[in-house]
Amino acid sequence: MITAGIDIGSITAKAAIVDGGKIIATKIIFTGYNAELAGQKVYDEVLIEAGLGKTAIDKIVSTGYGRNAVGFADKSFTEIMAHAAGAYFLNPLIHSIIDIGGQDSKAILLDDKGKVKNFVMNDKCAAGTGRFLEVMARALEVNLDDFGTMSQKSASPSKISSLCTVFAESEVISLIARGEKRQDIIAGIHESIAARVSSMLARIGVQKPAMITGGVARNSGVVLALSKKLDMEMEVSPYAQVNGAIGAAILAAAL
Amino acid sequence: MEKFTEFKNIVTDPYTYCRKYKEETGNKIVGFTCSYTPEEIIYAAGALPFRLFGTDEGIHRADMHLQSYCCSLVRGILEEGLSGRLDFINGVVFPHTCDSIQRLSDIWRLNVTPKFHIDLVLPVKLNTTSARQYLIDVMEKFKKDLESALGVKITDAALSDAIKLYNQIRKLMMKLYTLRAQKPETLKGRDLHSIIKAAMIMDRQLLLKTLSDIVEQTQKAPASKMKPETKKLLLTGGICSHPDIYDIIENAGGVVVWDDLCTGSRYFEGILDEKAPPLEAIAQRYLDRDICPAKHAGLTDRGESLVQMVRQHQADGVVFMLLKFCDPHAFDYPYIKEMLERENIPCMLLDMEEQLPAGGQLQTRFETFIQIL
Repeated sequence: MITAGIDIGSITAKAAIVDGGKIIATKIIFTGYNAELAGQKVYDEVLIEAGLGKTAIDKIVSTGYGRNAVGFADKSFTEIMAHAAGAYFLNPLIHSIIDIGGQDSKAILLDDKGKVKNFVMNDKCAAGTGRFLEVMARALEVNLDDFGTMSQKSASPSKISSLCTVFAESEVISLIARGEKRQDIIAGIHESIAARVSSMLARIGVQKPAMITGGVARNSGVVLALSKKLDMEMEVSPYAQVNGAIGAAILAAAL
Repeated sequence: MEKFTEFKNIVTDPYTYCRKYKEETGNKIVGFTCSYTPEEIIYAAGALPFRLFGTDEGIHRADMHLQSYCCSLVRGILEEGLSGRLDFINGVVFPHTCDSIQRLSDIWRLNVTPKFHIDLVLPVKLNTTSARQYLIDVMEKFKKDLESALGVKITDAALSDAIKLYNQIRKLMMKLYTLRAQKPETLKGRDLHSIIKAAMIMDRQLLLKTLSDIVEQTQKAPASKMKPETKKLLLTGGICSHPDIYDIIENAGGVVVWDDLCTGSRYFEGILDEKAPPLEAIAQRYLDRDICPAKHAGLTDRGESLVQMVRQHQADGVVFMLLKFCDPHAFDYPYIKEMLERENIPCMLLDMEEQLPAGGQLQTRFETFIQIL
């Protein structure tokens, strides 16, 4: 059975095609203004990537904040359910998922069978999200993709004490003006995200092994800071950013 | 239904309703801030008890007087007072419950147009032998204060009539809640929310009549067609001023079957003894009723009663509606959560202000919670 998952996030739209136990293709594009159009486009592109026609797909599940804009999906699930299904598919031993996306972060606890036991969401504040990193990258004039490697060169991370993105940005600008090294500032930013996210995790209690998913998982600096803060290995799958789409495709197979 | 529109209009624009009511009847209007207000006494004095709900629009006057860690309900009520929009009320009653309401009373007295202002200094512990007599004395004093503020005499006969009326209203409310829990599809959560809010605002005689009609219609409605997979939720917390919550829950495949809210079952729970001396009967209801966390009646009283409520209504899960900076509720939350977990009752915390969090994320939370139940 070949199924597709479409995950419309706040910044990017992701699609995955799964055939039984195998991932055939994945695709990531920017969501832009029109979530409906993004869903259509990412689906078309993932089909090209997979070399399949629409008729080859048995079921489609949509997820993400734009899940209800995907009119061609058979069913929609929340991104929490999709990330749980995706992580359980990638590694059935996983008990906690930390999903850091563009506009919010979530912690999800799974039972032994991969069922969601509990979850928390930070949806009030941009600190500890992908958007926060984008704002900082702009202020520092550094490509976001280089954040991970640069921060690992830092010997003494700067202290960022503001919890608010807007104030943290002015704090970073003051650090730049004081002549602090870019790598130290970036490492400080990663530590502040780790502090923010881990305080949310403490509310539900993380259980090992844990996996980090969502676009921010691509930033090795955040992953490292978070493992240090939680004193726990963080599993990062190469599919971290498309984990929600994969999970949606897995849920589609069970429809 | 036409009747719901009537309720909805009152809830959406209570001030216009009250002004018109005052003009037509010549009756006075007494504002109150919480469900520990003995409305029966206000009613017996010939005035309309009117619950203040505040506003979520453009609060700026209140911010000059309040600390930043004050809940949006108190902030909203003060804003309305300072803005002059409540100029039609003849006075306000402040029952002493949480710290913020007590301070609101002080700020009100000093800053809002000087109409009458009554503090109702209730006991904090409600489960002691002295609490009962104390509470009766407080009611006695309130009656006198109100008499001099409104320039009327409150007779025992008027009190008895008020008690009878409120008993009828409370019984009907209880019946409506029970009927709806059995056949939720007959009444939208949003409509039930309007009814209970309107019940704290409108002419109580009119309320009684309209409520009787609605209960009768709901009774006649065919038996439940509720889908077996629909999840039954119970709301707990302080107030809920968001009818949208009910829609979100219903769209996500759930239904609210009961609540433990100040703007819900706590408001109408408890029937007064019509044979007892009126003020004693009024006091007794507050001693017997499920408490608000700003009061005390045993360390785990609220938790136990919540668990019992869940069992009684066979709810699948509980949603804590925690108004941000409401410390009495926040203090109770950890132990109640533990208690529910011990009983294997799933629960979700919804931290909110007068304004709801972004719609999409709220939908995601409720959908996920209902899906995992």
